[in-house]
Amino acid sequence: MNSDISIVALSLQIALVATAVTLPVGMLVAWLLVRKQFRGKFVLDVFVSLPLALPPVVVGYALLWLVGTNGWIGRLSESVFGSTLAFTWIAAVLAAAIVSLPLVVRSFAAALAGVDPRLEVAARGLGAGSIRTFLTITLPLAYRGVIAGVLLGFVRALSEFGATIIVAGNIPGRTQTLPSAIFTRISAGDTDDAWRLALVSVVLGVIALAVHNWLLKRTANGISSSNGGSR
Amino acid sequence: MISFDIRLNRPEFSLSAKGEFDDGITAVFGPSGAGKSSLLNCLAGSIKPSDGWVTLDGATLYSGPDGVWVSPEKRRIGTVYQDGALFPHLSVRKNIEFGWKLLPEDQRRLDPVEIAELLGLTHLLDRAPNELSGGERQRVAIARALATSPALLLLDEPLASLDAARRGSILNYLSRVHTEFSMPMIYVSHSVSEVVSIASSAMLLRDGEVQGFDRPSTLLLGAASAGDEFESFDNILDGVIGDSTDHLTTVRVGDVNISTRHQNKNLGDRVVVSLGANQIILASDEPKNLSARNIFKGSVSEIWSNTGKVFTEIDVGEKFIVELTENALNDLGITVGQNVFLVFKSSSVDVYDA
Repeated sequence: MNSDISIVALSLQIALVATAVTLPVGMLVAWLLVRKQFRGKFVLDVFVSLPLALPPVVVGYALLWLVGTNGWIGRLSESVFGSTLAFTWIAAVLAAAIVSLPLVVRSFAAALAGVDPRLEVAARGLGAGSIRTFLTITLPLAYRGVIAGVLLGFVRALSEFGATIIVAGNIPGRTQTLPSAIFTRISAGDTDDAWRLALVSVVLGVIALAVHNWLLKRTANGISSSNGGSR
Repeated sequence: MISFDIRLNRPEFSLSAKGEFDDGITAVFGPSGAGKSSLLNCLAGSIKPSDGWVTLDGATLYSGPDGVWVSPEKRRIGTVYQDGALFPHLSVRKNIEFGWKLLPEDQRRLDPVEIAELLGLTHLLDRAPNELSGGERQRVAIARALATSPALLLLDEPLASLDAARRGSILNYLSRVHTEFSMPMIYVSHSVSEVVSIASSAMLLRDGEVQGFDRPSTLLLGAASAGDEFESFDNILDGVIGDSTDHLTTVRVGDVNISTRHQNKNLGDRVVVSLGANQIILASDEPKNLSARNIFKGSVSEIWSNTGKVFTEIDVGEKFIVELTENALNDLGITVGQNVFLVFKSSSVDVYDA
């Protein structure tokens, strides 16, 4: 039971930190994709979305190379911390963040696209700078979609397995998350343990998805009223 | 006073415009796609021109050669958009105060409470934008822009999404705002009636080029009588309700008393009168025994004659634009300065709340 709790705690820790990373990164990317015209927009879109179209194992393998002694992240972390990030919980965070980023960006982009850009132009004309405009106009009008995106990313990070096991391994107490612990129990024939952890996953997933769906329903209402207000 | 000389090059469109607008109401007129909104956006700073310069009251807002660019939030130019573009998540009050709150206190020349009062919004302050009618939304948008104490107010087709009854009313509010706050305005429109009714000068844009800059009626009725895309012209005038009988109500427009159908309004109510230029008959001699209730003596102050259509401006104390045909003009031998009689039915006059 004790090990169960620490597995859940580590999984939540990894998923939460991964979400904290994807929130600002996802917001910036979504904003660029929705509001800005620039060279390389297509490349950025594809690059960010690619993990959605790849087997997570491939993402994990690429990430393992990046954080290993030959990759630039690996070399950077070796010079700063004296070791690479491979097979640490931080590697698991990176894996979870990269795999969930496409979902987060998509949700954020949909939420931002639902905000009439002329409202932002109007706010600028009324004296608000671009950051204030984003915080007082764009975000309040998109926030339900943003929260929904955050939850979707969190759920995805929580259930991440393929990329995580490649780049972070499956080390009990250090990098063993809920999915990799279930994998271990199934491999070892511990069906009771496997089912129990699977049930925990189901409960966490149901809670997060229920909140997500509720927020999404509210977002749809919010967008229709925002259109009504500006027609 | 705003002066500009700008060029905007886009793959599908280019604009080249030079002008100097005084502190009155200046209309920018032209068909859709002429570049009216692009010009406004360049002045407001939501679009950066390709080259040229813009100055407002002597301060440079943009200069291509000198690399000057003042961002839109620092320009002190208020903009009112076609559909209001109100912030849907904020109450009317918060919409109006949005820009005002961002102003340093010593720059708050106009008071939001006073503005709301002038625009008849006081009872709507706690409403959400989606609970407002189209006309109310436009008034909130005007109030919101005014509350930033701008040096110039830009209006981008503010009446386009409104019905006739609301249009007159907003025009009336705009004139009041202009007088009350001495607010210079640039008014973008593709309606000659609106422009002639409100503006003191007008710039005509076509295909991204300036075609003329003159008194609105001079510039636009001449151009309109030549163009085939022209709508019918309506005289839009401010008036006050006078005496009523069972069937007729008198509306005072300046010194002229116009008979209209009976109006369910009170003596002294402010109204807007709309009368189609093609609903008015001209007579060179005083007409007798007519059923028409409105007969006024005046003089011809201007004539615009082009292919087939003729517009004349008749001064009967108030100026009315009258549309007639080339044949009628020649048969009556109407010339500028001549005395004529205006005739129209009381049922031709539409009366709206101001």
